[in-house]
This record gives sequence, structure tokens and C-alpha cells, in this order.
Amino acid sequence: MKPVKLSTRGLGKSFNKHGRELTALRDLTIDVRDGEFVGIVGASGCGKTTFLRLIDGLVQPTSGHVEIDGRTVSKPGPEIAFVFQNDGLLPWRTVQRNTSFGPELQRREKPAYLRIAHDTLRLVGLGGFDDHYPHELSGGMRQRVNIARALTVGADVLLMDEPFAALDSQTREIMQGELMRICRETRKTVLFVTHQIDEAVYLSDRVLIFTARPGRLKEEVIVDLPRPRELSVKRTPEFVRYTDRIWRAIEEEVRESIGLEVQSLARVRH
Amino acid sequence: MIRAMAGAKLAAKPFKWIPLPPGLWRAAASFLFAAIVWEITARYIVGNPLFLSSLSDIAARTVTLWHDGDLQTNIWVSFVEFAWGYGSAAVVGILAGIVLAEWRTLRQFSDPLISMLYATPIIALGPLFILWLGIGVISKIAIIFLTAVFPIIINTVAGLTTTDRTLIEVARSLGATPKQIYTKVRLPSSLPFIIAGLRLSVARALVGVVIAELFGARAGLGFMIVNSAQSFDTAAVFVGVLILAVAGVVSVELLKLLEAKLAPWRGNDQEG
Repeated sequence: MKPVKLSTRGLGKSFNKHGRELTALRDLTIDVRDGEFVGIVGASGCGKTTFLRLIDGLVQPTSGHVEIDGRTVSKPGPEIAFVFQNDGLLPWRTVQRNTSFGPELQRREKPAYLRIAHDTLRLVGLGGFDDHYPHELSGGMRQRVNIARALTVGADVLLMDEPFAALDSQTREIMQGELMRICRETRKTVLFVTHQIDEAVYLSDRVLIFTARPGRLKEEVIVDLPRPRELSVKRTPEFVRYTDRIWRAIEEEVRESIGLEVQSLARVRH
Repeated sequence: MIRAMAGAKLAAKPFKWIPLPPGLWRAAASFLFAAIVWEITARYIVGNPLFLSSLSDIAARTVTLWHDGDLQTNIWVSFVEFAWGYGSAAVVGILAGIVLAEWRTLRQFSDPLISMLYATPIIALGPLFILWLGIGVISKIAIIFLTAVFPIIINTVAGLTTTDRTLIEVARSLGATPKQIYTKVRLPSSLPFIIAGLRLSVARALVGVVIAELFGARAGLGFMIVNSAQSFDTAAVFVGVLILAVAGVVSVELLKLLEAKLAPWRGNDQEG
């Protein structure tokens, strides 16, 4: 078995919202092995995004800590790269200069980072688009640039926050396949947040299911489907069994979180 | 790519043997139409050159004024006033905007003042400026500066304080220092706002030139307009007004070119 790459120990986060203490995450302890692809699902508002932001060091935890290769993470660094839901491309930069943004911020040599960007764009299937501007690209192509930008940092760990949520379903399926190919070629460790159960099963070695607020680990499902996975795997009985099992686990959480929303709406009304 | 598209559109037009973009043809057509209406109205409907000069009279008057040498002097004086007033407004406005965007307390303190001064018709204070700073160019530069500076401050502050949060988050997660976030994300993303502010104040500054000279001057286009009006030289009034109109169009178009160069991604959602 591969060594542990990333681990969280008793990770928790509370916010102070209008004078009320709001716990987004409580006591999360997980281990992710080197090269593992971990999907994270859960009802909306269960703190999945907060979890990724804590791991990246964008926000500080209220309790617990994050370790990469045994070292504690306290601020964003080159060990971890974040792929945001909105592509967050800088509109005034070309595709190549967007892709090379990370190494540029780390003050590497310009010819070197431009070459890295060029090569990475080819890896994500955007060879020849170096000099285009983001507004000239489709949503799927922009997400490819978003992924390429995270890859150029040279991080071993990729955190992905619903990167395909804004794409249409055909583009999404193609991007899922592309992501698996890229991960296979670059051997990244990935934490992938999604609200689509079939996406989590299709991509992941292991799926973590979070409870509704406060987010905690409810259950984990090891997805034992052979790789490389073709799209047709989504129609096999095993695949459907996995999605069923995850859906059942998540269903009561979703119901609970909808209930919570109804309650809080009712509170606002009164 | 854009040029290729324009070319494709052009091919479908009847004027395809002359390589001008279709937008320019429409502009030329609308100017020609307005000129004909003007000429007919002035010559045959109004009939009295004291009330409305025909375009041909205005053209003839332009030539005589040029021969006298007055026109060049007046244009030059107004241009110098405009350049100093508008130029200093641009520099001071952008710098003040940068300071205010960073300094929250100062911004909250000065916001009501700036909004008030922005809305104040500064030019109504023209006579006072003449009193304070004399009849020369300094009083004109001060008035132009004050009419032009506030839109630039307001837009610079808006540009720097409304940066897309995702972009800042992306830079942070890639390990950017606060200084890098400023120079590589916030400053470039505020550029279109700053240019929009510069564009807004061009028109205000041009009005400032004329009004400042109306209250008392020794030369300039505003001075020429008011002098000609007092001596019933209607054609010369129109010469001054048309020159200012052309100057306005040219400077706005120059700023649009600058915007297209510095912020090409904004080209799609702006008026062509």
C-alpha cells in the first residue's frame, strides 16, 4: 500500500455569523494515500468547500490541523494546488500567461515557466491555444486552462471544487475522462468535491460522504472498479450499486438539510 | 480574427470595392444626411444667416479665420488649457483613487465630500476662479481640473475595490504575496474602470474649457465663441462649436482605442 500523502487531524471550523456561532465542519480526521483519487459528496452546505479551503490553507481551522507528507500546512504553498469552481482566469492574460501564473508568482525564470505552460496546455488538450484570451474559449476549454494552471505549480496534491458543475452534461463527461487521463499521466493525489454522485463514483478510488451541517464524515465507500475506466462503466450493475449505496447514505442528510432550510426560513418569517 | 469577420461582413455589402468597415459607412452616411438637412434648413427655411449659418458659410468663415491667424491662436490656447487641466486631473485622480482605495477610513471620510463636489456644477463658480486666479490660463486650468478629476477618482476607487474575489482567491492559493495580488490582479482588473473614468471626464473637461473662457479670457475657443456671438458673427460661433465637437469625438475615440488595446476582453460587451 502507498504511503499517506495528506491527512487531517480533528479538523474543525466555526464561523461567527450575525453573533451566532455556526459550525461548518467538526472533527474531520482522514488520510489520503499518495496517488489516490478521493471524491467528496454531501448535502449542499455541508462544508465540502470549506474543507478544501482549510486543506489549502486559504482559511485557518478553528481546531485540528492538516499535514502533507507529515508537515503541517498553515498557508497556501506549492505542495497543493486548487482548482476553483468558477475558472477564475485572468481576462487580461492569454491562455499561456494564465497557465504560467503560479510559477510566475514563485518568481521562476520566464522562459522556463512559459515552456512549462506550453507543455501543460498540450497535456490538457489545448495545444495551439497559447495566445488566445479566455473570452475566446468555451466553458469546457476554460476549465481545461483552470486545471492546467493548477498543474504547472508542480503540486502533488490537487484540490478540485466542483470544477465541472457549470458545464453541460456532454462536456462534463468528456472532461471527466480527460481528468482521469491527466491524473494517470501526472500521478496526482486528488480531492474532488462534487454534488453529482455518479461523477464521484466514476472518478474516485474512494468516496467520502459528509453529513449535513456541521459537516462530519458519515461514511466512506471504496470504489473497486478496474482502471482505466471507460464511459460504459457507468451502465454496469456494479456502478449502479455504488451510486445507489451512496445515494441512500446521502439521502437522509439531504432531507435533513432541506428540513434545516425550511426551519431557518420559518424562523426568518416569524 | 475580428478583422477577418469585418472582412466577411464587408463582402456582403454593395460598397465592397472600397475597403472601409461598414460602421464607418453608416457614420459617414449619417453625417452626410445631417449636413444636407442643416444646409437646407439654414438656406431655405430659416433664411437669415444671423440665426443659423449654413454649413457652406461656416466653411468659408473657417478659411478666413485661418487666414487671419486668430483661429490657430485660439485653438492652441484652448488646447494648452485642456491638456494641462485634463492631464493633471488624470494624474491626480488616479493617484488619489489609489490612495483612497487602500485607505478605508479616509475613503469613508472623503466619500460624501467627493460625491458632493462631483455633483456640484463647478463651472458656476467660474467667475470666482477668475477673481482668485486671474484672467489668464491658470484659472482655466483650475476649472477644467475640477470638472474632470472627480469621475476619475470615483472610477479608480470603484475599479480597485470591486476586484472579483475569485481572482484574488486564485492568486492567494497559488502563493501570491499581498504585493503580487495588488500588481498582478487588482491593478490590471481596475484598468477598464480607470479608462472609463478618463472617457467620462473628457466631455466634462471640454465643456470646462469653453465655460471657463466665457467668464473672461484673452484668447481661446470659448473666448472666440462669446466674442463672435456679441458681434453677431454667427458663422464664427459655429466654427468654434464644431471644432470642439470634433475634438470631443477624437479624444473619446482615442480613449476607446486605448481601452481596446489595454482591455481587449471588454470589447464584446461594450458599445461598438
